[in-house]
Amino acid sequence: MAVANLLLRTIAENSMVVLLQGLQGEVTTVDLRNESTARGRVVNVDAFMNVRLEDVLYRDRRGKLTRLQDLFITGRNVRYVHIPDHMDIMKTIQSQLAKIHRVRNFASHGGGRKEYSKKK
Amino acid sequence: PMDAVDFCCCTNTVEEPLDLIRLSLDERIYVKMRNDRELRGRLHAYDQHLNMILGDVEETVTTVEIDEETYEELYKSTKRNIPMLFVRGDGVVLVAPPLRVG
Repeated sequence: MAVANLLLRTIAENSMVVLLQGLQGEVTTVDLRNESTARGRVVNVDAFMNVRLEDVLYRDRRGKLTRLQDLFITGRNVRYVHIPDHMDIMKTIQSQLAKIHRVRNFASHGGGRKEYSKKK
Repeated sequence: PMDAVDFCCCTNTVEEPLDLIRLSLDERIYVKMRNDRELRGRLHAYDQHLNMILGDVEETVTTVEIDEETYEELYKSTKRNIPMLFVRGDGVVLVAPPLRVG
């Protein structure tokens, strides 16, 4: 199980998905491939860009609105994610990468890789 | 500790096609996307999948309507502006400097 998580973290840290993972807790709009949009609070984004949203206003391609408590969007179906104006992108990416490296150091016995020192 | 320099690529040589995109970082670019969409915006970040962060974006969606009687093709385009956009790379067809007129 730990190996699967390590793999997912490695996939995530080598792409821009880490920024989306840093959007947890924020309210954003996701434009889907099928021309619909979903606006809600980001619960989770995984390494494959699968997105869980809560408290969602879903607008289908015709403009019809539906309220959904929980929405799971497969990564393949994401076209755009609107980034909230107040977000500092560099800071978010850096803090996400720091989290990944902290976990990696914690998980390995004997100190692990020495390039990244433990954060206080 | 990670800092901006570690995160951004440090080499100045152009070795592969993605390096050409690196040259456009922080510049305005033109992106042609699938489904007759185009984006014009400032490139803030990208990755090997061509996932991109674009700032100050104008999206243009082009549709074609055929007149039922004259069979004329009517091209319509809808634009909208988005301050900061994450674009999933699998929708990207091409990336270029903004098209210049004349």
